[in-house]
Amino acid sequence: MKMQTLFAAALLGTVALSGAVPAAAAPVAYTVDPAHTAVVFLVDHLGFASAIGRFNTVSGEIAFDKEAMENNRVTVTIDTASIDTNHAKRDEHLKSPDFFNVKEFPRMTFTSTRVEKTGDGAGRLHGDLTLLGVTRPVVLDVTFNKDGVSAASRKETVGFSARGTIRRGEFGMSYGAPNIGDEIQLLIEVEAVKG
Amino acid sequence: MTDLIHDPFIQSSALPLLLSLLAVGLIHTVRPGGALPAAGIGATYLAVHALVVGVPALPPPSGMGKLFWAAVAGVALGALIDAAGWRGRAGGAAVATWLAASLVWIAWPVLDSAAAAVGLAVLLAAGMGVVFGTGGAPADSPVASAAVPLALGLAVGGTALFGSSASIAQTGLALAAAAGGFLLWNWPVGRHGAGASLRIAAGIAVLLAGMLTFFTGADAAVLLLALPALLAGRLHRHLPFDRTAAGRAAAGAVLTVAAVLPALAAVAAAYALGGGSSPY
Repeated sequence: MKMQTLFAAALLGTVALSGAVPAAAAPVAYTVDPAHTAVVFLVDHLGFASAIGRFNTVSGEIAFDKEAMENNRVTVTIDTASIDTNHAKRDEHLKSPDFFNVKEFPRMTFTSTRVEKTGDGAGRLHGDLTLLGVTRPVVLDVTFNKDGVSAASRKETVGFSARGTIRRGEFGMSYGAPNIGDEIQLLIEVEAVKG
Repeated sequence: MTDLIHDPFIQSSALPLLLSLLAVGLIHTVRPGGALPAAGIGATYLAVHALVVGVPALPPPSGMGKLFWAAVAGVALGALIDAAGWRGRAGGAAVATWLAASLVWIAWPVLDSAAAAVGLAVLLAAGMGVVFGTGGAPADSPVASAAVPLALGLAVGGTALFGSSASIAQTGLALAAAAGGFLLWNWPVGRHGAGASLRIAAGIAVLLAGMLTFFTGADAAVLLLALPALLAGRLHRHLPFDRTAAGRAAAGAVLTVAAVLPALAAVAAAYALGGGSSPY
């Protein structure tokens, strides 16, 4: 009896490994494509207009499950020294301890905790953002745009758009408020390639 | 009124000057004479730092947060020493220990290169100069000692203004303005002694210089040009003024100007090296 059980288990394992039996779908690993990813922010400047900036060095991983979006997972790392507002002096200031304090905190990270499906191809991405050594929960409204082989790179690619708002003061970045807005709007466009 | 308080120029000048005049006056009313009223400089600095940057969390995650809490500890230490009337080397040693420990605490996360180690060594040396090397003035003339935090605050604040850090610029200039408030209380006639609280105020300027050195892209080396301000006390003995009220008033004015001139040289150097423009 014992021998029969072992034989059955071995047979099942062999069949599963060979792909003869369909396994449950699992998230597929994608890597953020920095050339086609943009992390952009808008912040009020003295009430006159919004200043716009971006981070030029972004990396990350996405575990993508098209059939069950709630299984998706995201980790993103941003080099804070890559901030770019198209004004060198202002960028130096933004790198200072007044804002991103890049010498002490060279990176900020986002790690998703769960995905909440809100519609067809849309969801809310919950996660923890660590900035200036402070970790706070944030929520991004995410739209799944497309997946498939990119006509440009010939690689399996997936694309998302995300929008959200954070309050910089919650991360200890209080300098200049309220003249420079506390509320930061985030516009994120991501392409990630398989593997 | 709210707009005024949030105006960076007011926060760096008129507000700390007014707060310092009030704080020094309040302490003077409670404890006339002695060295304790100079604690009003540090108290004013803390108030402006809290207004400009906010009160940081404990434990502080950043260098600027560490600076704030180090300053809190320093102001308390200076007030304790001056209230107790401790004089001599024990008080100086306590202030020196506070300053050295604070500098190392702030710099610790970035002490990963020879340049950072050299920067720390220079700051420690300057700090010891602030604590032990600012004597020489008559005991009843605090002007020479108070001119040191004024000059160093001006140098750090002015240097930071050129593209490196607005908060360090504002708090440095606020420290200078607060020292100016104390100077006004002691001019033309000196009313207070020069004790630990004045040294703590100058020490806060050194901590701000540390922030510039370790966490910004500023040319912090220009601050070395401001160090002759430490010699104001020694200069006092060589001034050709008699000990009359008019002579003391004139000596106070000359000493303050003499201390500020090297600070202005440092700011001018920062201006020249920084391309002469500010992002603000």
